[in-house]
Amino acid sequence: MRIKQQAKGFINSEHLVPAIFILLSFLAWQYSGLSGNFVLNQVITRFIRDGILVLSLIVPVVAGMGLNFAITVGAMAVQTSLLIVIGYQVEGVPGIILVIIIGVFFSALLGYLIGHILNRVKGKEMITTIIIGFLFNSIYQLIFLVGFGTIIDVPNKDIILTRGIGVRNTVDLGMYRDTIDKLWLLKIGGIEIPLFMILIVLLFAGFIFYILRTHFGQEVKAVGSNTETSEILGINTNMIRIKVMILSTVLAAFGQLVYLQNIGMFDVYTAHLNTGVISCAALLAGGASIKSAKIRHALMGIFLFHTLFIVSPQAGQNLFSNAALGEYFRSFVAYGTIALALIFNVKHENKYKKPVQKPEGV
Amino acid sequence: MKPILEINNLYKSYKSIPALDNINLSIKAGEIHGIVGANGSGKTTLMNILFGNPIIHETGGFQGEIIYQGKKINFKNCGEAILNGIGMVHQEFALIPDMTVGENIKLGREKTFAFTDRLFGRQYSFINRKQDDESALQTLIQLGISIDPGIKIFDLSINLRQFVEIAREIDRTDLKLLILDEPTAVLNKNDGLKLIEILKGMAKRDIGILFISHRLEEVQHICDKVSVLRDGKLVSQYERGNISINTLARDMIGHIVTKAAAGKREILPQPIITFSHFSVEMPGEEIIDLDLSVYEGEIIGLTSLSGHGKLALGYGMMGMYPVQGEVYYGGIKIANMDAKANILQGMYVLPDDRQGLGILADQSVENNIIFTGNQVKNMFRIESFFAISGFIDHSQARDHVDKMIQDFDIKCSSIYQKVKELSGGNQQKVCIARALTVDPKLLFVAEPTRGVDISAKEKILHMLLEINRSRNTTIVMASSELDELKRVCDRIAVMAEGRIFKILSPDASDEDFGLALSGEEGVAYEEL
Amino acid sequence: MKNYSIKPPQIIISAFLITLVFLAYTLEMNLVILFNESLVKLVMNGVLVLSLIPMLNVGAGMNFGLPVGIIGGLLGMCLAVNFRMTGFHGFFMALLFSLIICALLGWIYGLILNRVKGREEIAGTFIGFSFIPLMNYFWTLAPFQNREMLYPIGGQGLRPRISLENYFNNILNNLYVIRLGDIEIPVGLIGFFALIALFLYWYFRTKIGRATIAVGENEAFSRLSGINIAQTRLIAIIISTIIAGFGICVYTQSYGFIQLYDEPLSMAFPAISAILIGGSTGKRAFIFEAVLGTYLLQSMYLLTVPIANEILIPELTEILRSFITYGIILYALLVRERRRNNG
Repeated sequence: MRIKQQAKGFINSEHLVPAIFILLSFLAWQYSGLSGNFVLNQVITRFIRDGILVLSLIVPVVAGMGLNFAITVGAMAVQTSLLIVIGYQVEGVPGIILVIIIGVFFSALLGYLIGHILNRVKGKEMITTIIIGFLFNSIYQLIFLVGFGTIIDVPNKDIILTRGIGVRNTVDLGMYRDTIDKLWLLKIGGIEIPLFMILIVLLFAGFIFYILRTHFGQEVKAVGSNTETSEILGINTNMIRIKVMILSTVLAAFGQLVYLQNIGMFDVYTAHLNTGVISCAALLAGGASIKSAKIRHALMGIFLFHTLFIVSPQAGQNLFSNAALGEYFRSFVAYGTIALALIFNVKHENKYKKPVQKPEGV
Repeated sequence: MKPILEINNLYKSYKSIPALDNINLSIKAGEIHGIVGANGSGKTTLMNILFGNPIIHETGGFQGEIIYQGKKINFKNCGEAILNGIGMVHQEFALIPDMTVGENIKLGREKTFAFTDRLFGRQYSFINRKQDDESALQTLIQLGISIDPGIKIFDLSINLRQFVEIAREIDRTDLKLLILDEPTAVLNKNDGLKLIEILKGMAKRDIGILFISHRLEEVQHICDKVSVLRDGKLVSQYERGNISINTLARDMIGHIVTKAAAGKREILPQPIITFSHFSVEMPGEEIIDLDLSVYEGEIIGLTSLSGHGKLALGYGMMGMYPVQGEVYYGGIKIANMDAKANILQGMYVLPDDRQGLGILADQSVENNIIFTGNQVKNMFRIESFFAISGFIDHSQARDHVDKMIQDFDIKCSSIYQKVKELSGGNQQKVCIARALTVDPKLLFVAEPTRGVDISAKEKILHMLLEINRSRNTTIVMASSELDELKRVCDRIAVMAEGRIFKILSPDASDEDFGLALSGEEGVAYEEL
Repeated sequence: MKNYSIKPPQIIISAFLITLVFLAYTLEMNLVILFNESLVKLVMNGVLVLSLIPMLNVGAGMNFGLPVGIIGGLLGMCLAVNFRMTGFHGFFMALLFSLIICALLGWIYGLILNRVKGREEIAGTFIGFSFIPLMNYFWTLAPFQNREMLYPIGGQGLRPRISLENYFNNILNNLYVIRLGDIEIPVGLIGFFALIALFLYWYFRTKIGRATIAVGENEAFSRLSGINIAQTRLIAIIISTIIAGFGICVYTQSYGFIQLYDEPLSMAFPAISAILIGGSTGKRAFIFEAVLGTYLLQSMYLLTVPIANEILIPELTEILRSFITYGIILYALLVRERRRNNG
């Protein structure tokens, strides 16, 4: 009986989903014909680029707020900060520091705003964060495509389009590229492991580990488990939720900064577009659910998800002589993972709901 | 010795319905003070005020003053109460099911690493899991329980959860006043005694204890002082040595002047429905083991203290909550509780939560009255080629609704008026009219006159009597209002802790009812 | 129509629209042509908006999974074109194919949505999003025979845009047009729209229709009254999906090209925004709200294009459209949940 229970416990989404990803990745890799080294190098790069972004999703899940698709807002905040700094031509290290300061400031502010909005829509956080993401994207475009050059003026004209209005589609980050990327490079065979950057990602992972093991973290977990009970226990649930969103948005800002720095090119209007979906899919691929997410889910998930992502187009080309089919597979996996996580999770929702103590006659 | 808590002239009403009326109470440090009261007595409201439940503030606050440790207080949320050294053991357990025993006990007081305390402050310092669990274990051992602090709450049995709930409060070093809401309700006798010893120990440490319970024997055993609440008023107080179970039971109910609206009559013991080991899993109002036969043509009352199961029967019958056990209707066992099937068989349930599930608030009186009849029995359908689609024959519907409005004196501007605009009493009449439209043989009604003004109350009770006398509809009436049950029922079944405790005749004494509600047998005479 | 109160979104949009009309007038644009266009746009997009009503009324929320029904409709049209069905016959067959396919898709979609009560909107979003790449396989690999639909030699699968020139392009638009001077009123087109609206009106007066509204209004009450909640929801979702299929057919015949692949990705949001602008709270919807909202939104879209071109920032149109669309939806989410928590 115990073995049966153990077996049943093993075959749950936490283990099943990563297992499926491993299987699919392996198969796709075989068909792609790409070398193991190439794939591994690519995955390590993705790990560094997307690591912090995926990590930023963890705390909102723990707080019971589901998948935070609004991390795009954090990404946009840091991109805004970047454009301002480049616009005013502050270079070098002071530039980077300024980007971080302004970025953190903006993202904290926006996180606060988002937290407030989500407190009004308890139970419907996920759909709201998607809409928030889209809405802020329009505002972002409005500012940078229409505002720059008309209402807002910056000294650095290089970043403005030739017609005089709007920021260019791509801004070169040449000055930041290759600075810290290849720091402490470890070479094993054909595999390149940039230790410094990996340590940075792990540092952020450690930070989340720490924060969840504090009094604050316990309150977050309580709120995520049962809001009503938390209120009776004296926890200010609304405040906790706002703090969680600030944390998530600020982390996303850092994550996007690392991402952009690593790529070296800044696609002003598209860099942040799929951040939310890809990061969420990666988190889920690692075995997380919309109710439970751990650091290991995030770290493992990036490997699993991006491996599949990297090999799919080539596999499609080899199998069907049509690379596009591989592309479709990527989209399907990304959206499909999230769809499945949403469908197969609502079951455990109402298990522990207890009624609030209502006075008689009310 | 100065009292730790002084309540002076406390008054609280919800939308002009008084819940607490001129309460005067005081508790000394180290005193165990019992609160006893039946439904609607105001116990819950009192606790909510003391513990800072936000609902108090949201519904207009309270009048009067509460002096705690010499200072006037008015808590806006539970956090404030907790900060001031007030603790509460909730009836429904304020435990986080996904967290461990240790985490729940230490929530808010976790053991942390000292250097992170200094660096980042209490809120953000790193928790020392090992030390934390050890500390929790210490508290548990104090309670005489040894469970692994690493077990998650949802893996624990109910009575162990009760102890964890208590442990959380005992673990506190700043506790000055502890409120316990039915702490022994889920415990067996031994565990109950264990708890009482613990409480005595706490009282010795000068912690004031407010002990709310329906188990009168316990109250007599443990309390230094007992206050009896009834209908929001403080009706009596007794000191240790002067506490008698029978007196408490009588005080709880009060003296009910009832004029039986219907004379005593002979009901043939022919069961229309029989429940055998029936249980309903309605959170907060569980029926654990019901054995009852309802006789054809009778009006049987069903009463209990709040949370003891009277409200769950109707909901269980309509498949709203998981049920177990056997139900025989007309001699045939009901395989599963399907609302539609049961309605077609002649059963109908009028829920107590009228606003929540009794009416379609945004729809007209007409639509509300004909709804079930039309949906389940295809009544008021235009019989034509398109009958299958079920268009309403409005003239037929109107005739029926007009008759209902007239017969029951439903006050509305027109049959098209939205039901949410009607008064509580008229809404209830609409509900009963809807029930009558399907002509049920067995009607389950819960709290029929809740939220209804005096004049409408009469009308509604009369309606129920009418239905029973003229159509021979059997009525199972769940209510917390003993006086109305006494007026219309042929028998009254008293439930306690999810089971039928006693079936009393409507003219049984107040004391009998009080004792039955508390699940006490009572004694012929008492040793004082 | 009783007790209809004007809410902020309508005031804002109406004010915006009046400003745009004024601007258009001062920039000396041809208002008559714009008016004619607005009628066409109303119906073109209106049917998709009507499709949202059953799901909203049954309590399944705003149908962000609109792509499911849209794909059904696209498939229906592709089949009709593949078999070289032209004219009325072609359009009618497209509708018929869509009906069957959407009924099936709607059934599966409904079963899934019944599993995720409370999260229909987010689940629908991703069901729709993931269905699209899945269908991309189909468009690429399915054995369509009509050469006109396929990529030229060397390519594989259907073209992303298939012209309806030889089939049923504008079949409804041109059906029975009344001309009053310069004003053109496409009676056929409006008639089709009216037909669907009438169907919905009739549906909600049937027994099942009334059960649908009750379930959306108060599920517990409905359960207590013996209604089969799951079945009622399923039927409503199937109807929504079928009408969505019809909606894309109407849209496409007016637009002139069947748009495949990733096109449906962003079609849900404008439709939802339209019904919200019309006054729906996101919890219940009436037919006239769909009409009003679609007209306001589409007219606004229509006017922003030439004006933005005049000011030399063409992207402004798209950005403003997005901003308004998502802003309205966010507003509705906030208001709806606030009402739900207070009520």
